[in-house]
Amino acid sequence: MSENLHARAEKLIAQERIEGISQAERDWLAAHLRECAACAQVTQQTNDALRVLRGLPISLPRGLAERTQFRVQLRAQEMREREPKRRLLWVMCAMSWGLGIATAPYVWQAFEWAGNRVGVPRLVWELGFGLWWTIPALVAAAVVVLENLRQANERDWSGR
Amino acid sequence: MADDNKALAQGLKRRDPDLLDQLIEQYQFRLFRYLLYLTSSRERAEDFFQETWIRVLERGHQYDGNYKFEAWLFRIARNLVIDWQRQKKMQSLDALLDPEEGAPMEFAAQNQPSPLHMILSAEEKIGVHASLDRIPTVYREVLVLRFQEELGLEEIAGVLAAPLSTVKSRLYRGLEALRGAMQGSAA
Repeated sequence: MSENLHARAEKLIAQERIEGISQAERDWLAAHLRECAACAQVTQQTNDALRVLRGLPISLPRGLAERTQFRVQLRAQEMREREPKRRLLWVMCAMSWGLGIATAPYVWQAFEWAGNRVGVPRLVWELGFGLWWTIPALVAAAVVVLENLRQANERDWSGR
Repeated sequence: MADDNKALAQGLKRRDPDLLDQLIEQYQFRLFRYLLYLTSSRERAEDFFQETWIRVLERGHQYDGNYKFEAWLFRIARNLVIDWQRQKKMQSLDALLDPEEGAPMEFAAQNQPSPLHMILSAEEKIGVHASLDRIPTVYREVLVLRFQEELGLEEIAGVLAAPLSTVKSRLYRGLEALRGAMQGSAA
């Protein structure tokens, strides 16, 4: 029997278990296995290997689920407690931006007036106006980042 | 099934405590087994098991129910193990992310007898442990996902964040290695 036939049979034996094969391929393989003891043995070995893999006994650590459930509930409680603070932060940011938009024309005039009065170049007081706008957002972002870092550190300590 | 997954996704978004308790019970064996194969350490597998469920709680809103929950769960677990490996700097990033290109991915400490080995030695007096220990983790992982967890190829690709072709090639090589190892132990 040609080497190619055995190679094809071996490929189909694996393919059948990994991806599946067509009916025609299955028929061809069955016919080949009836005639070829070596390839039939490969099939048997593959089936045995998978049976052993599927049947491996693994014992769970005692109380693993209960301990995990307890930790998860604690974390959930912690998250629930932190939620109002986080919401308050976003409400304050939204109010700050809302006020910023509403008062922008007046603040612009105030910066212009102060800039002219002090005698600083136009670019400087315009930059000042820009900063005045972005600082609340930067502070909010910094608070969120710091909070996330703190939580990550806490998890590292409690987790391991 | 799709409806079940959608309901699960809704519950995870709400951080439903009863649902989480139920999921931990339901998937404890499968998740622990996967982590044990990945880390070859009972202690680490236990740590990662707990950490995985904390992540599920925190990131439950990211699960949309369009694919199997276990695939998402295994992916979280796997990412945690990889992150931990990165932090420990025990292996190069390249070797972890693309093991086919370099040395095979080995999460377990090489110089210790694996707990898998110990469990099997204690619970089953057969030569299977030695055979499985000889299979690189990268292949063992896909074999576990395919033949124990019975995930589809696309789902495995999702867990591994790898192309389908990579999953297939690892499965073919893994199956060959498994057969070879069993044959070796039987001889």
